[in-house]
Amino acid sequence: MINKAFSKQALRQCQSLLLVCCAGLLTEGVQARDHLLGALDNETLLNCENLHWSGQAAEAEACYLAIIRTVNPPEIQAEAMWALGDLYTADELFEQAAELNPENAMILVRTGELYMRTYQYQQAYDFFNQALQIEPNNAWAHMGAAEALSTGNNPEEVNAHLEAVQTHIASPPGARLRALVMAITSRMERDQLDEAVDLLEDAWNLAESDELPTMELYALEASLAFINRRRDEVQEFIDAALEEAPNYGDAYAIPGYFASITRFYEESGEFYEQAVAIEPENWNAHLELGQNYLRLNRIEAGIEHVRISYEGDGFNPKTLNMMRLLDTFSEDFVDLSFPEPPQGNGIPELVLRLDRDEVDVITPYARELAESSMATFEERYGFEAREPVIVEIFPNHEDFVVRSIGMPGVGILGVTFGYLFAMDSPTGHPDETYHWGTTLWHEMAHVYTLEASEHGVPRWFSEGVSVYEEWNTGPIPGVKIPAGVLNAMAEGLFLPIAELDDGFMRPSYENQVMVSYMQAGLIFQFISEEYGHEKIVDMLYQFVDGTDPVSAIENSLEISGREFDRHFKQYIDIQYGPILNNLGIWQEDVGATLSAYQAGNWEETIAAADRAIFTYPDYVEQDSPYIAKARAYAQLEQDDLKFETLETYWQLGGYSASSLKELADSYIERERFNEAIEVFMDIHYVDPFDEETHGKLGDIYMDKALHEEALQEYLVGLALEPLDQARANYRVASAYHALNDTEQSMNYLLTALDIAPQYRPAQQLLLEISRSANSTAN
Amino acid sequence: MKKILSFSSLALSFIWLPAQAELYVTIVQGLGGEPRFEEQFHEQSRIIAEESAALTDDDKIMLFTGEDATRDNLLQHFSSISSQMTDADRAAVYLIGHGSFDGEEYKFNIPGLDISTADIVNIMSGFPGENHFMLNTSSTSGALLEPLENENRILITATRSGNERNATYFGQYFVEALNNEAADLNKNNSISVQEAFDYAQRQVADYFESQGQLATEHSEIRGDGAAQFNLARINPTEIAPDAPPEVADLQAQSDAINRQIEDLQLRRNELGNQEYLQQLQELILESARINEEIEQLSGN
Repeated sequence: MINKAFSKQALRQCQSLLLVCCAGLLTEGVQARDHLLGALDNETLLNCENLHWSGQAAEAEACYLAIIRTVNPPEIQAEAMWALGDLYTADELFEQAAELNPENAMILVRTGELYMRTYQYQQAYDFFNQALQIEPNNAWAHMGAAEALSTGNNPEEVNAHLEAVQTHIASPPGARLRALVMAITSRMERDQLDEAVDLLEDAWNLAESDELPTMELYALEASLAFINRRRDEVQEFIDAALEEAPNYGDAYAIPGYFASITRFYEESGEFYEQAVAIEPENWNAHLELGQNYLRLNRIEAGIEHVRISYEGDGFNPKTLNMMRLLDTFSEDFVDLSFPEPPQGNGIPELVLRLDRDEVDVITPYARELAESSMATFEERYGFEAREPVIVEIFPNHEDFVVRSIGMPGVGILGVTFGYLFAMDSPTGHPDETYHWGTTLWHEMAHVYTLEASEHGVPRWFSEGVSVYEEWNTGPIPGVKIPAGVLNAMAEGLFLPIAELDDGFMRPSYENQVMVSYMQAGLIFQFISEEYGHEKIVDMLYQFVDGTDPVSAIENSLEISGREFDRHFKQYIDIQYGPILNNLGIWQEDVGATLSAYQAGNWEETIAAADRAIFTYPDYVEQDSPYIAKARAYAQLEQDDLKFETLETYWQLGGYSASSLKELADSYIERERFNEAIEVFMDIHYVDPFDEETHGKLGDIYMDKALHEEALQEYLVGLALEPLDQARANYRVASAYHALNDTEQSMNYLLTALDIAPQYRPAQQLLLEISRSANSTAN
Repeated sequence: MKKILSFSSLALSFIWLPAQAELYVTIVQGLGGEPRFEEQFHEQSRIIAEESAALTDDDKIMLFTGEDATRDNLLQHFSSISSQMTDADRAAVYLIGHGSFDGEEYKFNIPGLDISTADIVNIMSGFPGENHFMLNTSSTSGALLEPLENENRILITATRSGNERNATYFGQYFVEALNNEAADLNKNNSISVQEAFDYAQRQVADYFESQGQLATEHSEIRGDGAAQFNLARINPTEIAPDAPPEVADLQAQSDAINRQIEDLQLRRNELGNQEYLQQLQELILESARINEEIEQLSGN
């Protein structure tokens, strides 16, 4: 059964005896469906289809209604119902038809297509499979199966079905065209444009020889023209598609899709606007338009189009996810603009969009990082933001993923759309592995590379610059290579620069995306060290004109892509040769450290950690031997050695919050307060929700007479709703008192004393304020 | 009753306990089953006994461990202290260990026959007077809430129902609160039942959150008077033996003001916010001046 998005009562009313009445009630014009391409040969139905595709909407609707009103086979009535938007009745009619004609494979194929329309891919695949059991060479069933399987991760099975369509002599030309279109789309999605062009030529030949509709081919041509920066040709292809099918919204929606996946969101939105203008029932185009508006920070318009999509197509899980997200978005998020009030042109430079529950905690640190990164990148890339940068931070990871790509269940941390980026809050990652400060820095770098290149920067280049900036200017500088990437480096899995985008877009092994991030970062580390940072900037601006990355390297560095690859390999060999040549030994030592620690063998823990550190001293990831070594020293009560170990770990960029908290306490014990402040600030970029950290840092600031800074920490501590409300309020009162704000000080002080009337430090502050007021009065 | 001269704790004990009222503390260390639990329960029981010593005489603190913690011994003990207690006295009962719930009845696990729900109801009902306290740190202890709930007794369970069956963390944090300044939320140098509960509940929640896990236990508190029932003292400010005699007068004044503050807080809803804060400020200022004077005279 098709999922019930509408009421069961409405469905019951739509039984076959009342079809005419129901069709009149439920339809709002002819709904968008794919062209039949010759899959069916019922002349009455084809007449209606022709009316629809030729843009005669009213006539098409009347035609489909006539099919329902007159005596027709149930599978044809099902098609009419489907065209009129009543998918439930269409489903029931297909079921009746299948009962009457159990050996008719096409009824099962069309039922499968109906289920594809309702996004029930597994059920759809089952119908296609049933059809293939009746007719093993049914090309339409193979096509349906391929499309159903393409929504999962079965490339081999998909290809097997497509091959069956292409190779079987009896395959209808329409099915072959569909197979070609699917292959072209896939190649274009993978940036394999030369192959796409060849396939498109085949498709044109087939369509022309067999007189098949070509509007989809025109839309693909328009998309290719857009991707290849032949922008003046785009509209010509679209116009040609529309000449063939005037209400074919996909003439715009298909280029809109390719503009979106190549990160031209502004242009993508313009395509989708046109799509829904000429085909208001193109619910998917409404959804994509809504998502694009949201990416462009046009929130109200975005919500409106997602809502339209939902009302027209309640089946789409992406729309359902978006609707749920938008509830959260509207109710739970607040915007904070900086500077406040705006300076100069009256436009804020930065907008933080934060969850209400986190705003008091995240704001000061997110603002500081965002403003600092903007100033850094402005200087380093010679680009000044022309619009406010919007930073969205989501406490719920799935909300963030849905906001970014429409569907949950994807392990990403941040996504940049242009001047707006979205990312996970640390509350979405309760473990210590998420350094949200680095994620913010990384995404902000994307803002600058995307916008400076007018969205022309290749994926690997933008990711590489972001990683390179993390290492060189981010909140925890230092090159950090995870252990899994070292393995890939040792195995020589780095890609030539001309193919590096494949590592991101078409990973061929499990860890390849992460390996590609690191390779891209190291490439810029290499360029910066060997040629100078300005060469990176020079290359970036070449992408404005659509220069490809290898040419950009040749232009800026004056070496060929191949030479570059060779030089880069030499750099890696020099920089990482020692560790890569001893990787097995190092891994054994890291493993031995962990085993000894777990066994409580502290001396052996330290010895094994020392061996691992000797081989690779810069390794400060979560399984860093420094952490185990420090803990072993703690067990042996060798406090100074524990302190020295943690200090080295931190100085190398280690960021385990629990280890850094111990280090900060050690600095306080040693009265090295400046270092303690730095460590506490680093902790905030991993775990800003620890009240104790804010309290301790505030206390240090108070002792150093940095009262504004102390107040900020104390206010954040209070916002975390600590159990000890009296102390938290007293701390805020004391900071306000130090800042001579007696009114605010008294507010917080009386709150503290109301909770704890005998709280001596608070009583003493009250006495002090009272005496001071009396002496002033006297 | 031990006389510990802490001017802050004096105030509260004066408010709550009539003169000569006694506190009877009973700690039952149940079966651990595994060495790590035996060790934990033993340590928790030891700390409770140690901290209780600041509030009552040693002979009114009974700790049942190991083979001594049998049902017969316990029933006999509770029968005995019930007969000694007056209406003004209070009992604090700690059940530290594992529990079980078969869907109908809760049992606290001890050597031999377990203590049943009916036993526990009888024990708590057998004390004369009211405002007695029981802590049960076991899993499934929430099954006791319904049979034992009564506004005249304070009941804390580590779980909210008999269906939370995992070994609990609540007990260790509750005990941790007894000698932890961070749990003294009203800064009176005493840890009340309510403060220990609030502290432990927050720590348990933080623990599960930090582990990225759904909490397998949710503690519950029932009954009135938890904020006034002290379980331990921390950092009591002793008055020096050679302190001048005026200190005692000042202490009496301080106690009187603290009573006025409590009275004012009870009448908060009768007053406008401004008026309430004004009066609160005046009283606390007075208290602060007296405390300052006491400290100066006492050399603190």
